[in-house]
Amino acid sequence: MVRHFFMNSDDQLILEFQRGERDAFVELFERYREPIYGFFRRRLDYPARAEELTQECFLAVLQNVQRYEPRASFRSYLYGIAIHLVAAERRKAGREVAENEKLDSRAAEGNAAENSDAGIWVRNALGHLELSDREILMLREYEQLSYGEIAAVLRMPVNTVRSRLFRARAALKNQLMPVK
Amino acid sequence: MERNAQHAFDAEEVMAYLDGELEARRAAALAAHLVSCSECQEVVQGFCALSERMLSFEVERPSAGMYDTVLAALDSGKSSSVSTPHDVVDRKGWKWREFVFHRRAWAIVGAVIVVAMLVIGIPHEFKTRPDLSVDRSVVSLEKAVPAARGRLPLFQQSDEYNSSLNKNGNAATRSGTNVYQSAAEDDENGTAAPPPPPLPAGEELKAPENVGPMIVQTASLNILATNYDEASAAIEKLAAAHGGYVEKLDAKAQTGNARELSASLRIPTKQLDGFLADVRKLGHVEEENRSNEEVSNQYVDLQARLKSARATEQRLIELLATRTGKLQDVLEAERELARIRGEIESMQGQSALLVHRVNYATVQVDLNEEYRQVLGSGPVSTRTRVRNSLVEGFANLEEGAVALVVFVFAYGPSLLFWLAILLVPGWLAWRRFVVRARG
Repeated sequence: MVRHFFMNSDDQLILEFQRGERDAFVELFERYREPIYGFFRRRLDYPARAEELTQECFLAVLQNVQRYEPRASFRSYLYGIAIHLVAAERRKAGREVAENEKLDSRAAEGNAAENSDAGIWVRNALGHLELSDREILMLREYEQLSYGEIAAVLRMPVNTVRSRLFRARAALKNQLMPVK
Repeated sequence: MERNAQHAFDAEEVMAYLDGELEARRAAALAAHLVSCSECQEVVQGFCALSERMLSFEVERPSAGMYDTVLAALDSGKSSSVSTPHDVVDRKGWKWREFVFHRRAWAIVGAVIVVAMLVIGIPHEFKTRPDLSVDRSVVSLEKAVPAARGRLPLFQQSDEYNSSLNKNGNAATRSGTNVYQSAAEDDENGTAAPPPPPLPAGEELKAPENVGPMIVQTASLNILATNYDEASAAIEKLAAAHGGYVEKLDAKAQTGNARELSASLRIPTKQLDGFLADVRKLGHVEEENRSNEEVSNQYVDLQARLKSARATEQRLIELLATRTGKLQDVLEAERELARIRGEIESMQGQSALLVHRVNYATVQVDLNEEYRQVLGSGPVSTRTRVRNSLVEGFANLEEGAVALVVFVFAYGPSLLFWLAILLVPGWLAWRRFVVRARG
């Protein structure tokens, strides 16, 4: 019999998985597979590498499930792992500027029909933001994390998240103003 | 987003309200305000439009293969090397916990430290250092007691003497045998070593005539003997063997202290060198002194006075033999004669003593036992042993900590310098290589 976890929160599911419930993890994976992939895909050039890191992210959850402690939401925990993976990826690449340049100049691989000109403009505009501001904005807009979750993931105060988010949105709007 | 400075709600609050992050009471107030404030409505529209624009940055869906991979790992228990937020990570991304347990990192650090120590330590070992050791060997007596050239029968600085000086408290051997043993065994077996040739009878009292200056020799030795009993017994035997005798001997044996022996010996001058050479073998010579006093003038003067006194005596005797003067003069002459004879006897005694001193050197030997006091500790209780080991443990800990601190202070700056020189360029080159390899 397959247990349905639709009504369970993420935190409940991870605790279920911690107790050995395999299907709880499958449910979590189903919920976050695409959002996590999107997280990596918006920050990296190669879809294959984004998939690899997505797998690494969920494998990290598998490995460390017994050490998991519900200090913050599971989402914060999961995106925290993802942030670390991205940071490691950027260190390997050597330069954050190079990452920005790739974000600006190179067209996204994969299905070109899904990337409109507006999407390219947005990506280009995001590339002009400071890294920390860009991360806060993207975590809010794309990953839909709350201010508290963003603060937990990026390890900064909530007020700082709020002020930087406002600054990032203002800067992005200035970047995108000429385009309607 | 330019706002009226007097506006009740700033744009940031409107943003927080749209994100659902504004405090409830404040949010309710802002909601009521938005109904009537066109300016804030513009702000709201601006944020919403921006969010909508950002959604145009779309990405494709992941492949199905990823699903299978993760589930396969779930079923097989595959581990990941990725750290989690629970690991200690600072803002710069350093994973300290991972670094602490990373064997390769420690291997690299250890190799760098070893290389740095070799680079620093090898030249330091080969650096010449000034010789600060104290030369405790006894200076050769030729230098210490300069001889009266041409006038003294110099003692010979033999190889035996040198070897006895170089050994620390150990009896020197003569011809491969122990000098104590040979003396004792020889006495027992009646095959004593050939004694020095005996002096002709009366020679010791005979004034040396026409043999050059008259020198009174004195010597003193301070010897540390490991075998005190044998050494103290050997001194008298050696004196007798060389035709001398013990003038004075003091021995001390106080409880808890090393034994001491002080002997004043008279040794025929001709046997002095041999006697000293044999005495030096009794142990380690800590101090040796020799002095020579020329008494030729004193002796000559004494002889002259003696001759004059004898002449006067003879005249007085002749004078009294005639007895032609008054009684008072005779008595006067008798008194004078007695006085002269007294002087003659005194001078004869002085002369004899002088001759004896010339013929027999005075040797002062101080023999000390090499004594190591034995601690009279009885059986130690378990409690004492435990306490002592505890104290020793803390002492060792302190010594180790001090040694570590000394090492860090002594070599820390050099290590940091060499690490910077060796590691940083290598790390930068490695990073550049990796970047290029990834293309």
